[in-house]
Amino acid sequence: MTTIKKLLKNKPLIVLLAASVVVAIINPRFLTWGNILTVLRQTSINAVIATGMTFAILIGGIDLSVGSVLGFCGAIAAAMISSGINVFVVVITALMLGTFIGFLNGTLITAGRLQPFIATLGTVTLLRGLILVFTKGRPISTGSTGASEAFGKIGTGFIGPIPIPVYIMIVVFILAYYILNHTRIGRYIYATGSNEEATIYSGIKTSRVKLFVYSVSGMTAALAGILITARLGSAQPTAGAGYELDAIAAVVLGGTSMAGGVGTIAGTAIGALIIGILNNALNLMKVPSYYQDVAKGIVILAAVLLDRKQKLSR
Amino acid sequence: MKRFLSLVVVTLMILSMFAGCSTNENVTNEEAKTIGLAISTLNNPFFVDLEAGAKAKAQELGVTLVTLDSQDDSATEMSNVEDLINQGVDIIMINPTDSDAVKSAVEAANKANIPVITLDRGANGGEVVSHIASDNVAGGKLAGEYVIELLGGKGKVVELEGIPGASAARDRGQGFNEAISGTDIEVVAKQTANFDRAEGLTVMENILQAQPEIDAVFAHNDEMALGAIEAIKASKRDILVVGFDATDDAKAAVESGEMAATVEQLPKEIGSMGVEAAVKILNGEKVESMMPVDLQLVKK
Amino acid sequence: MKDIAVSMKHITKNFSGINVLKDVSFNIYKGRVMALVGENGAGKSTLMKILTGVYLKTDGEIYLDGSEVSFNDTHSSQEAGIAIIHQELNLVKDLSIGENIFLGREPVSGRGRIMWKRLYENSEYWLKKLGLNENPRELVRNLSVGKQQLVEIAKALSIDAKVIIMDEPTGALTPAETQKLFNVINDLKREGKSIVYISHRLQEIFEICDDVTVLRDGELIGEKSVSETDEDKVIEMMVGRKLSEQYPRIETAIGQDVFRVESLSNEFVKDISFSLRQSETLGVAGLMGSSRTELMRTLYGIYPYKGDIFLNGTKIKILSPMDALNFGIAYVSEDRKTNGIITDMSVRDNITMSSLKKFTSALGLINKNKEQASANNYIETMSIKTAGTYQLLKYLSGGNQQKVSIAKNLNTSPKILILDEPTRGVDVGARKDIYDLINKFKKEGMCIIVVSSDIPEVLGICDRIMVMHEGKISGFLQQKDATQEAIMTLAVGKDVYNDDH
Repeated sequence: MTTIKKLLKNKPLIVLLAASVVVAIINPRFLTWGNILTVLRQTSINAVIATGMTFAILIGGIDLSVGSVLGFCGAIAAAMISSGINVFVVVITALMLGTFIGFLNGTLITAGRLQPFIATLGTVTLLRGLILVFTKGRPISTGSTGASEAFGKIGTGFIGPIPIPVYIMIVVFILAYYILNHTRIGRYIYATGSNEEATIYSGIKTSRVKLFVYSVSGMTAALAGILITARLGSAQPTAGAGYELDAIAAVVLGGTSMAGGVGTIAGTAIGALIIGILNNALNLMKVPSYYQDVAKGIVILAAVLLDRKQKLSR
Repeated sequence: MKRFLSLVVVTLMILSMFAGCSTNENVTNEEAKTIGLAISTLNNPFFVDLEAGAKAKAQELGVTLVTLDSQDDSATEMSNVEDLINQGVDIIMINPTDSDAVKSAVEAANKANIPVITLDRGANGGEVVSHIASDNVAGGKLAGEYVIELLGGKGKVVELEGIPGASAARDRGQGFNEAISGTDIEVVAKQTANFDRAEGLTVMENILQAQPEIDAVFAHNDEMALGAIEAIKASKRDILVVGFDATDDAKAAVESGEMAATVEQLPKEIGSMGVEAAVKILNGEKVESMMPVDLQLVKK
Repeated sequence: MKDIAVSMKHITKNFSGINVLKDVSFNIYKGRVMALVGENGAGKSTLMKILTGVYLKTDGEIYLDGSEVSFNDTHSSQEAGIAIIHQELNLVKDLSIGENIFLGREPVSGRGRIMWKRLYENSEYWLKKLGLNENPRELVRNLSVGKQQLVEIAKALSIDAKVIIMDEPTGALTPAETQKLFNVINDLKREGKSIVYISHRLQEIFEICDDVTVLRDGELIGEKSVSETDEDKVIEMMVGRKLSEQYPRIETAIGQDVFRVESLSNEFVKDISFSLRQSETLGVAGLMGSSRTELMRTLYGIYPYKGDIFLNGTKIKILSPMDALNFGIAYVSEDRKTNGIITDMSVRDNITMSSLKKFTSALGLINKNKEQASANNYIETMSIKTAGTYQLLKYLSGGNQQKVSIAKNLNTSPKILILDEPTRGVDVGARKDIYDLINKFKKEGMCIIVVSSDIPEVLGICDRIMVMHEGKISGFLQQKDATQEAIMTLAVGKDVYNDDH
């Protein structure tokens, strides 16, 4: 009984379940195994980005550059693959590149004392420009080398009945959960977000915490870039534009406070699923495309408002 | 508990409200075939026209058309195609956001044994039964040839480019440059104005400052061309402008003599032909693997 | 006869389970000045925030001119004629004096245009009245703090309020400015306005006020006419206890020099030299602006400094709180909520925050059992009242939060423990616990620095007292020689107040 009560308190989960039930009633195809896998695979990219975004929002910051990091690292990965470089090397390089860009964001925020919003906004434009310079404005195909085939598996392959991106998403969630709940840096992330000054007074270098967090955010964005490029077999110069907003929406839907300090990775997972299901369901229910954004906006606002009301009435 | 209920109720209401928005296609008879259309964007009049053409034809032929908007994003396109497959449509028409990136989507449909038709842009992979498009490269060529004709094969031109990386910008530019290569026409300035009228104005103003001699301007779309015309009018110089798309504004400008010409595509025709071909395929008839749609030059 | 302007009856205010005001009744009379006094945390500000609609009362009634009122925001209390001059300045620094005075109430013409001429003329009138010779078009940023305080007062007066609340209005004023303010208050009294005067300076209260209400620990102690009472009686009402019972100081054998500071200076303090010996409790006294807290934070690595610090004879450099903790210097902050504890985290997480390394394996994973045990240990030994280790700190009372803050620092096993205002906002019972803890630490050989504004507290628990004045040390007193007067004399920088006493 207590577990049920606990679950009932979890607003994001309830929204998720309620939405699923409604969609399943309207279109029974929603609950087919194939469609469930589709939703999970579609969600994986946003979920991976949202995991890094959760870290950034938990410390009271934000990372607007994730979409551009995704595009940039994806383009670099595609170029390397098309010239036949080993997949393993490419993946590691792209992840390190994303981590490095995140680290630079963190440096701008800590050493440069810029607002996270401003710093990462700057990175967005800078990286978009670099992507265009690098790709000369053209999509980069991963080509048809042996490497590209192996690389493509990351996005399109299956292990057993389940798509590989879904495994990757789950691994990312588990790692993030462990970091946030069972390591020192995780504790410091919550502390920094709750009360940075008190954290500094507790003898913790919050600038190091921030560098870590933005590096993680950069790395997850790069991972999403790898997934998307592998999935599509090509890196688009415009890839990832606007993805930061979906990631932020997932984090907020998951109950994480934009003010920092409060939130869980499980919440983000549910938030990302809600958005994924919403996208899929609106298509399945044949909602005309102009109305889809309206519907998404309303659902996000309604969920957040209800959550907020609940918190205020305490 | 109260909150839980209110949450469920609100979610129900919202979702059913939007389900209600969907056209009453789902109540038409069971046997009606369904065509899925994944369209690159519905934020651009050209593609809105394309969809309108398809819709009109679908109604005429008594088939259901489900349109999903890819919002100019390849990953969204991928998801939309997957959703169409899961929905169990009979055939999918894709208007790709990008020819390379659409490959996986086409392959996914192939795997599900659903035939694919591409509209306006092709796919560089997967099996496509038919491709229906007006060729942007050909359009660029058409514009180039007209500029050669007007200038007598010699002069200085400016090229206003579209959004860097957009395929329309690439193809139109490519066609235009292919046409003028080998002539004495020289491109003295080439800058992007992002398909935007206001940017077309400011970019052209800057170019006018920098270039003392300009005979003609080729803009990758009409919006930029119209912006450029404003800049040219203000400078009181005499420069020919050729645009692309034949929007209503542009046609009026051609009529009044402010614009030399604009290349007209027939988006409604593309959509309409797509549905026609789809129905033929579903009825087991053969269709051409390439179906070009006419392009025409609108001039006075 | 006294006419009642405002009457607050049986006011109770509850913050997350803790009553900060308990059944308090408070009267404001027409044409009279009511002093509201009490120690820090007695509930004066909370009471006034309820009257002006900043906080909602949990229970009780408020009557204005005989009819019951209820204010949900400051705007509605202003409309009803109640103005407040805040202790903290609430001016917009980049607007002019005039714009600030009429902020939100700019005189506008029928067509919605601001009538600047009238605005500045009216501003000038109020400035003149307060004897402030400034152009009302001057930016507030360019004024001294004292003059800004006067602008704040002008703003309240210009509302033409019936009731004016002044919260520590003279804090930043020169004696001449204070005198002008008193003249204005007397004018207001003659006009039949009511004034609430909150101040720690009892002399001022006996100079300008007609009545005095005393609060202590959120309760009403009494209301007296100023003419019927004197300073000593008021102090007794405020403190409400005999010092000896309250402070259980123990004597310990004081050992060797452990910690020495030599000619330490920075932007806050000048030429600070002192030393600390084992098992010694050093009290640090001084008035607001004496930079006691800034000195402590400098020692804790928050602010950069010039000068030398020695620990057991070795010179050390403290660049950050991390350094300080590594050297065994711990600091329990005076501003608990801002930098002492993290209210949105659990009791356990707070207790282990500074010493998490101890609880972490080589792989970086936290050993939660060990952590839990440590938290339980502190909860038990310090009698922290909490529902459990998982309880969020925001649901604990001030005293228990303070104990957690101390526990957090103890967990780092410090050699030197700095306690900055350890009993501020802490109820009487928990105070006693904290004093007992200090004694226990002394016995264990720890060096302790206690910074406190509560002079009886400093007298009651410290072995030696260091008094500061405007960033400098103005003297040391041994416990046996120290008296309240001796400390005050040093705290005010001797000469200034000599003629007053």
